[in-house]
Amino acid sequence: MSNSHLFLKSGFPRAPLQNGLGRYVCQLQRITLKFCKNNGSSRGMRDFIENHLVDFAKENPGIVVYVKPRRHRTPVLVGEYLNGDREWLSCRNSTQDEISKWIDLLKTQNGSSSSMRLRKMWHTDVPSIQGPWTPFLLRSPDANNQTLPNKEASQPFDIPQTATEKLIELFKQQKLEEGKAGDEILEQKRAE
Amino acid sequence: MSLLTQSMRQLLRHTTQRATLSGAMRALSLSPTLQQQNKPATIDVSAIAKEHQKECQTVCERINQQVAKSEQGRLFAVVHLCGKQFKITPGDIILVEGYWPPTIGDEISLDKVLLAGARDFTLIGRPILEAGLVTVKATIIEKTLTHTKTHFKKKRRKQYMRINFQRSPNTMIRINSIELTRPLDSNAEPEVEPSKRLF
Repeated sequence: MSNSHLFLKSGFPRAPLQNGLGRYVCQLQRITLKFCKNNGSSRGMRDFIENHLVDFAKENPGIVVYVKPRRHRTPVLVGEYLNGDREWLSCRNSTQDEISKWIDLLKTQNGSSSSMRLRKMWHTDVPSIQGPWTPFLLRSPDANNQTLPNKEASQPFDIPQTATEKLIELFKQQKLEEGKAGDEILEQKRAE
Repeated sequence: MSLLTQSMRQLLRHTTQRATLSGAMRALSLSPTLQQQNKPATIDVSAIAKEHQKECQTVCERINQQVAKSEQGRLFAVVHLCGKQFKITPGDIILVEGYWPPTIGDEISLDKVLLAGARDFTLIGRPILEAGLVTVKATIIEKTLTHTKTHFKKKRRKQYMRINFQRSPNTMIRINSIELTRPLDSNAEPEVEPSKRLF
């Protein structure tokens, strides 16, 4: 089992400088492409510079692109961010597609966030609007005055109706009907 | 306590009546006081339905008044996004895990709103609120990769050991605004067809 994660920093999602609240500001400021003009390990980087770099610079006027040839060294990508972070990537023997993918990643990041484990997928400044839930929420205040143990409160909610209760209900219904019938008879008589 | 239980039981019994009520009432979490009272043994269905309608209308009107005066305060919503539900309010940050096409700077509106609420009222969808009732606007602010996760497998006494490293994409979204776009209509019939914007 690897223990590399034991000393990994952990944190919560944050965005620098309230980014995205008014408008979105790209956080990548500078990108440096270092490569060798002869060495085979820089071949993908050279292809990328030939074919896609000008388009990339035109599409992203907010990002300064530096190209730095150096003899007999591996190709490297370095991105510098608004918050001062610097991300270094080795591109040894990678193709131009891979390099364009990594550059895209550098562009869309907010900083070198790769080494942080996120503990939550959500951040808010206002955790509750209707107030936090309590067990007394939307409950009748009668519960405050009850003396415990209370027989009625300790009953389950869905006890089936007993035969006696049913009989009582039937009796009451019958009485009601009789009462109604009596009223009707009375009214009829009055009408006559 | 017993009052509550009895009313609950009666609610359960009178589900058929409740089905005749307008859709907007059920969209509101506010239960009218009528439901909590003990009813006599003989029930006039139409009268109760009318009373419900009235109650519903007054509640809707009150909410509409509050919204018109913009006294409702901060709104919150529960949205369904990429298989997960998030409780959000303007200014929040949420993260979508895994591959998701939108890129940085994109402004999107989250359409699957399951619930929207303010300090004094809550609108609950069945399962989602009608399209266009609540607009939730958001901006994509970051697309990055997670920290390197180690995927380690070993079987004892079998000479089997694998170690893989993986980083999955993550997208950070800022919620810009949650708004009630149109006044509530108490007579609105529930949608018969499901929304076409579900995907």
